Amino acid sequence: MLVPLTMTGFPESPTPLTAAGDPISEEEALRRLRQDQDHSLQYYAAWWLGKMRSQHPDTIPLLLSALRQRQPREKGAGVEHNAVARNAAQALGKVGDGRAVPELLAALADEDEGLREAAARALGELGTTDAVRPLCERLASGLAGAGACRPNSPKLQEPCEALLEALGEIGEADSMVLDTIVPFLDHERPLIRSAAARALLQLTGEPTWAEPLLALLDHPQLQVRRAALMDLGAVGWRPALDPICRTQAENSLKLIALRGLLEHGIGEPSAETLLEAMDDLL
Amino acid sequence: MTCFERSPLLPRDTIQARFAALIDAVERADSASQLLQATRTLAQTLSDLRQDSPAEPPPVDALACLVRILGFNNPGAAVAAVEGLIACGPDAVAVLLGGLDDRNYGAKAWAVRALAGIGDVRGLAILEQALADDVGPSVRRAAAIGMGTLRVSHLAPEHRQTVRQRSLSALQGASKDSEWVVRYAVAAALEKLCMELQARERICDEALSTLNILADIEREDVPVVRLRARLALNRLLSPRA
Repeated sequence: MLVPLTMTGFPESPTPLTAAGDPISEEEALRRLRQDQDHSLQYYAAWWLGKMRSQHPDTIPLLLSALRQRQPREKGAGVEHNAVARNAAQALGKVGDGRAVPELLAALADEDEGLREAAARALGELGTTDAVRPLCERLASGLAGAGACRPNSPKLQEPCEALLEALGEIGEADSMVLDTIVPFLDHERPLIRSAAARALLQLTGEPTWAEPLLALLDHPQLQVRRAALMDLGAVGWRPALDPICRTQAENSLKLIALRGLLEHGIGEPSAETLLEAMDDLL
Repeated sequence: MTCFERSPLLPRDTIQARFAALIDAVERADSASQLLQATRTLAQTLSDLRQDSPAEPPPVDALACLVRILGFNNPGAAVAAVEGLIACGPDAVAVLLGGLDDRNYGAKAWAVRALAGIGDVRGLAILEQALADDVGPSVRRAAAIGMGTLRVSHLAPEHRQTVRQRSLSALQGASKDSEWVVRYAVAAALEKLCMELQARERICDEALSTLNILADIEREDVPVVRLRARLALNRLLSPRA
């Protein structure tokens, strides 16, 4: 789950505009995105328009122009433009308009790994089938390539988690896609394994792919158990009800997972049983 | 897990010595896991005492120790402490209210959960304030469900009516909360509130109209909130067995 960065650390805004982080109107958000003096205001405005799923006619053109603001990666330059572009890509996914697809597909090949990640998530949210092939190509080198650690960095060569999740969200379950995802079930990082199992379960509905996710609910690290909860919720895997209730994690996250079971899942346990389980967690 | 002997006839000073040792273990814990273990033992022992000797009031210093643990920033221990306090029921309320510390947000949030779980009307004002103003959705959620499960059967009819009216007003306000999970808890709480009432009482009518809003696709965006509100309406409007 992607959490927007806080605005801390960005320069104070000029006086005519209110401070970043305050509640704002749609009009104000569009005004902030339109100006290009203060990137922190653009950054917040892009996030806001996505969060509110703004349907204003100016929203898509302004977000696309913010996405184009990105610059080639040079040390010490262009970082803020890229941060604005990432939030714009993420917002384009949430606003849900097909006009953004060509530019998001282009962003999937960007040098900036963070932008590739945001573009992948956006294309997943939009359910863009044209993205399946490029997403698979990014992952095709498998554990030794895309999934390998970068030297001196906690990051992998590719934003694997986002790429895998996007394939699951788009829902094209052909053998090329499945063959691309399967190797990541053996990734050394549990969060990548969780993303791979989630995508396979979404694509096939085969109970066997639920097993790795259920096993991760018993993982010693809370962060991993949380990810498995969110992934089971995203799939809506109703047979996971009891393991979800039993795992050691905050009730808030269990409630989000059970909401997913109700809203995305079908079959047994029944909706009433799931609602009663949610009541017990309130 | 507990070393408490299950005997209803255990002498008072034996009980006190037992709890003094358990409290001491909490005070001496010097790691998160030791604190968690000591808290669980203390909470479990209090629950056992409650079950085995319901007439025996739980020792105040043991309750106060659990309340202090709520402020230790150890979520696992706090969960165990809240469970222990809820098991002690109304006997824990005075100590909880007396230990509230507005400056320690975390401790207060846990105390609200304990008060919500106990369902004693002395906690009503705290629940109202938490539901209206608390910054944490999980605290507002707990306060909301607590509003629906306040125990009022022992109160005089007039007092009972006042408490229910205050709960209803607080829940109506919270039905417009920005967080889905709070609105969900409001739907569940309204159902519980109405279950206690005779059908067609005025409070019940008002609760049903709030539930109708939460069940309406035009006025409620989140499917699971609508599902919960519809379940409440079905249960309340179908003839009772």
